[in-house]
Amino acid sequence: MRVSLYVPADTWLHRLDPMTKLLMAAAGVALTFVLARLESGAVLLAIFLTALGTGRVLRQAGSVFAGVGIIAATFLIVQGLVHPTNATPLIIFGPVVFYKEGLLIGLRLALRLYNILSATLILVLATNPADLTEALVRRGAPARLGYVIMSVLQIIPTMVAQSAAITDAQRSRGMETEGSLWVRMKAFLPLMGPLVTSSLIATEERALALEVRGFGSSARPTFLKPEVRPPHAGLVRFLCVLTLAAGVAGRLLFGW
Amino acid sequence: MAVVEVDNLRYRYPRQTTLALDGISFTAEAGEFVGIVGPNLSGKSTLCHALIGLVPHFYKGAIGGRVVVAGLDVHATPVAEMSRRVGLVFQNPFTQITGAKLTVYEEVAFGLEYTGVPREEMVPRIEEALRLLGLWELRDRSPFALSGGQMQRLAIASVLAMKPRVLVLDEPTSQLDPAGTREVFDAVAALCRQGITVIMAEHKIELLAEHANRLLVLHQGRLVADGTPRDVLTRAVRGELENEPAPAPPVTEAAAALGWTMPEGGFPVTLAEAVAVGRAVMAGDSEAKSR
Amino acid sequence: MSAVIEARNVHFHYTPGVPVLSDITLTIGPGATAIIGQNGAGKSTFVRLLNGLLKPVSGTVLVNGVDTRTQTVASLARTVGLVFQNPADQLFKSRVIDEVMFGPLNLGFSRDEAETRAREALAQVGLKGVETRNPYDLGLAERKLVTIASVLAMGTSVIIPDEPTIAQDHAGVRRLGAIVDELAAAGRTVITITHDMNFVARHFRRVVVFGQGRVLADGDAASVFSRPDILHQTGLEAPQITRLAQALALGETPLTVEQFVVLVRRRLTGSS
Repeated sequence: MRVSLYVPADTWLHRLDPMTKLLMAAAGVALTFVLARLESGAVLLAIFLTALGTGRVLRQAGSVFAGVGIIAATFLIVQGLVHPTNATPLIIFGPVVFYKEGLLIGLRLALRLYNILSATLILVLATNPADLTEALVRRGAPARLGYVIMSVLQIIPTMVAQSAAITDAQRSRGMETEGSLWVRMKAFLPLMGPLVTSSLIATEERALALEVRGFGSSARPTFLKPEVRPPHAGLVRFLCVLTLAAGVAGRLLFGW
Repeated sequence: MAVVEVDNLRYRYPRQTTLALDGISFTAEAGEFVGIVGPNLSGKSTLCHALIGLVPHFYKGAIGGRVVVAGLDVHATPVAEMSRRVGLVFQNPFTQITGAKLTVYEEVAFGLEYTGVPREEMVPRIEEALRLLGLWELRDRSPFALSGGQMQRLAIASVLAMKPRVLVLDEPTSQLDPAGTREVFDAVAALCRQGITVIMAEHKIELLAEHANRLLVLHQGRLVADGTPRDVLTRAVRGELENEPAPAPPVTEAAAALGWTMPEGGFPVTLAEAVAVGRAVMAGDSEAKSR
Repeated sequence: MSAVIEARNVHFHYTPGVPVLSDITLTIGPGATAIIGQNGAGKSTFVRLLNGLLKPVSGTVLVNGVDTRTQTVASLARTVGLVFQNPADQLFKSRVIDEVMFGPLNLGFSRDEAETRAREALAQVGLKGVETRNPYDLGLAERKLVTIASVLAMGTSVIIPDEPTIAQDHAGVRRLGAIVDELAAAGRTVITITHDMNFVARHFRRVVVFGQGRVLADGDAASVFSRPDILHQTGLEAPQITRLAQALALGETPLTVEQFVVLVRRRLTGSS
């Protein structure tokens, strides 16, 4: 039963310790903003997709990408239509004109969006939130912060499962939900309120259960399992730092 | 000195006008199995939460009176501190799984990690708790792959590993099937025999009558009866308690209607007792008939 | 206002190779029928087949002669009202009255009619004065009563509460029992999944025992509860008063305290 976005598997990516993956995500996001050119963004995306692919989480990443597709499309459309430097018409639909300059800028923005997303997904899809929390708590992060992070990551899939259950209950009380996308969307909107309420209640129950297990204790936590860093973590960390340095140098020297 | 001392406990939830608990007083000794019964909204859950300090520290509100559990003044002690002496198990087995651990074994370690127990001590405690609750063979399984009864036993084991002197359970079997329910009652009764004080709020009066050696009856926030199951349930079927009608095991109601009393007074409260009394009555009757 | 539900050789699984229900053949008509059995025996899955949420992998489910495969769940909801076990899987309105009116409105009743039905249903389950409150501000037991009222208000001829007695106190269980009796007397078909054997014995004419995805026993309560061997297979026991009668070898199977008392008095005053 999945209660988070995490996809369990046994790959080089999964075997990395959480802090290394956190470093990868941070370096990835930093590089996204450091690099300026369209081509650089594309190379970066290729690197991320390779990591996700060899980590066998590419399909789930694809679902997330599809989910934000509308936003990416918006960038292209808006910039293509009305960016101030627009001069060269590229695509024409009657009175509607998309300009080359704007489209390229929109493409860059979309690429940046997907890069940030991919870098973050490398961490989120391949790391058990509990392991990440434990790694942070070992380094002095307050336990409550760790739990907040975990709850946030767990909440969305729980709400998705619950909305499916509520939809079944609505059908069982005579509401037609099968049908066009519009019908289904109309059916989904009223669910958001109670989904949140019920998630909050479940979260409160969980919080209470944790309280009585000494979660709020001021004692320094100890850990059952010793922290393990796999042999290739060192190499990956080195490559992250190297790539980041190369990116910064490349931007300053060659305008990458 | 009693392990649990509650003296004139009064409590009101925030934004409420009526008292949820209205002058509750009782004590409990080591190894006792205390059952708390009463209709919904009579204060059973509130009392359970008051024994570990969630009332008032988590729920806020207005509180009066004294609650001392395992030597600690609950109103003056943070919940995390109380959790070393008192364990609380809730109704819903599912929301007591932290979701932070991949195996049953690690799940039990959770509370120990956060209260800073040294690793050498953790390992024997985890094994003891799992074996006591019959979960040792399942230690490598994911907590989410357990049945309801197993999950509830896992919640008990997790709390037990903290080595509390008192275990409080708030309607722990309400979501379980009869087999799961029996597992929980049997496990908890075994803990009593080890000297742990168990306090359980429940509706399942038949099983409470069988396992508990004390019953507290709550009604609208007040304690209306405190005694052995025999005393309390005998008074209940005689209509002597304030909460009318008071639930009692079917065998007790039948015994009351037939006038089947125990030799030492009162009515039978368990199946075994009722069978013994019934056989005696029927044997006496057939003897009388044959004369 | 009677309806008949028929299952013919129904097989069901979620993943192939892991059967959940095997060869279930049952016909359920007006009156009160209880489905009992340990968790995982397939009970909740079975009742979802009766309102079309699930369709059989093989075999047929007929509601008043109509194959559920040819109907949408919403249209079957005119006949079959299913109350889910977990209120959180059902509640979605911010006021109790709106939640209870939802079903009748979907069935085509006017707002006034729906509101009248909703108020009556709430009164029937014993909830007073909570119409404008948020269901999540109520306790678990009251939330369950709201979900039951939501289906009662629809007036379907088949009502299927899944474990209605969970978290209820004795007064609540008694009230639910009274509702079951009323519905059965009015000719409706009531099918309840429950773990409360006293509740079953007192209010249900027919008892179906599920175990490992099959029907282990099907008959009137007295005959089912006199088969401890079958009950044991699915982790159940007969009601306490029945077990007392069995231990005292009274020869009959009383289902309630009242029946037991009458039985004993007869035995004791009977001539030798």
